[in-house]
Amino acid sequence: MIRIENLTKVYKKGRNEVTALRDINLRVERGDIFGIIGLSGAGKSSLIRCINRIEEPSEGDIWVNDVNLVTLKDAELRATRKKIGMIFQNFNLLHSKTVFENIAFPLRLTNTPEQVIRDRVNELLSLVELSEKAQVYPSQLSGGQKQRVGIARALASAPDVLLCDEATSALDPKTTKQILSLLKSINRTMGLTIVIITHEMEVIKEICNRVAILEGGMVVEMGDTIDIFSKPGTEATKHFVEQIHQLPTHLMNGKILSLSFTEGSAGEPIISRIIKDFDVEINILSGTIEYIQEKPIGKLIIEAAVDGHQLIDIVDYLEKNHVKVEVLKNE
Amino acid sequence: MNSFSELVALLTPSLFETLYMVFASILFTILFGLPLGVILVITNQDHILPNPFLNNILSYAINTMRSLPFIILMIFIIPFTRMIVGTSIGTTAAIVPLVVAATPFFARIVESALREVDWGVVEAAIAMGATPMQIILRVLIPEAMSSLVLGITITLINIISFSAMAGVVGGGGLGDLAVRYGYHRFQTDVMLATVVVLIILVQFIQTAGNRIAKNINKK
Repeated sequence: MIRIENLTKVYKKGRNEVTALRDINLRVERGDIFGIIGLSGAGKSSLIRCINRIEEPSEGDIWVNDVNLVTLKDAELRATRKKIGMIFQNFNLLHSKTVFENIAFPLRLTNTPEQVIRDRVNELLSLVELSEKAQVYPSQLSGGQKQRVGIARALASAPDVLLCDEATSALDPKTTKQILSLLKSINRTMGLTIVIITHEMEVIKEICNRVAILEGGMVVEMGDTIDIFSKPGTEATKHFVEQIHQLPTHLMNGKILSLSFTEGSAGEPIISRIIKDFDVEINILSGTIEYIQEKPIGKLIIEAAVDGHQLIDIVDYLEKNHVKVEVLKNE
Repeated sequence: MNSFSELVALLTPSLFETLYMVFASILFTILFGLPLGVILVITNQDHILPNPFLNNILSYAINTMRSLPFIILMIFIIPFTRMIVGTSIGTTAAIVPLVVAATPFFARIVESALREVDWGVVEAAIAMGATPMQIILRVLIPEAMSSLVLGITITLINIISFSAMAGVVGGGGLGDLAVRYGYHRFQTDVMLATVVVLIILVQFIQTAGNRIAKNINKK
């Protein structure tokens, strides 16, 4: 669906050069909800804006539906952009036009017949549950309603892809959930491929099936969300994953393990077996359950009073039983 | 002292001359100034059709025109006026220098109004595949309409003030009346009556402009 190959973006201002993106390679499959997460300055905004060439890539290729956007001339690029919807952090609605006219805007650009516009816009208004706000101006709407108008507008020209540029960052947590569930249902019912950039791990956990972690303009990790969550590989990933549970440091003594139970391993009394089989003492420091795309992941942080050899055996035993293990501390 | 009816008889033709000069001028000013202002904005470095060369030339030209005091400009461009309307004297001839003076002023006002348009909205239109022309006509101008109306109001009042000097080229109007009767003939009542009419005219235009701008503004 979307293939990004060797994408590099360099900003030049006078003699200064800043490399925002360095040799990015990504693949988004049809029907994916693909999340790109990173701290501010990681280059995620540049990345998503290169996908529809609102920002010109310095090097590399952007393939959408087997068309390389980088090679397109202005007119072809404009035609291709109509099939790539986009929503924004600040909604970017036209203040001078009603909700109806905002949603009709992309259709009017192509001189769509009036009757077709009316039907399509009304259909979209009911999809985003704003039918009664059709004649209202954006300034009279709440943030969540504005973003729903943004989504309806982006869907008006029946795109194949929806790009979400920090689409929920200006919204409160409850509204964020509503917008995310709307996006998810659009993804399911229309088979729309969605690319989301965000700095909020919650957004990724909630709806993304695949995720890429961006740091310093590079993809440092990429994979299925559930894998990244249960076993974060890099420092940057850990930063995002662990912002959720942080243990007081004075408890972090001895050998500390973090265990992730997925559906396959949650039914077995594994801890109890370790205590019996290895004859060790285990202290449970914390436990949480997180839902990643509605699939539960149980996380346990335990302290084990064991020596190095036993530790290796225990880790081995856990992994055999499909529990993902990470040694947080080994003293 | 003139009687009230004498004053009315004196003022009425002058008022109509002023209205004719001012409204004809604002029409042409918008006609020329709006596209100039649009070009000034869109040819900017980070805008939809960057063209630093054109942008600089236009900007310098506008600054040059604006640095001439109106009374000098009016005389300076007499040959040009003659070329356009066939004569350099009279009310219609006064419209040419008024337009030449007001157009660069209005272009700058258009420029600042269009720059206030949220860039995010322009970007959204680009992402939807809008052409530069569609962005100008369907995003920039409608979104800036309220500021543009206020800008037109300011320009209109400016033209009224310039038009007081039209007497120099025989343009007539209220300003000319005030100078000829009030100053040269020491008829203070005529001067006063002219001033009152001008004040009412300006107040009316400003109030109307504010009201229209407020109605348009949906922000």
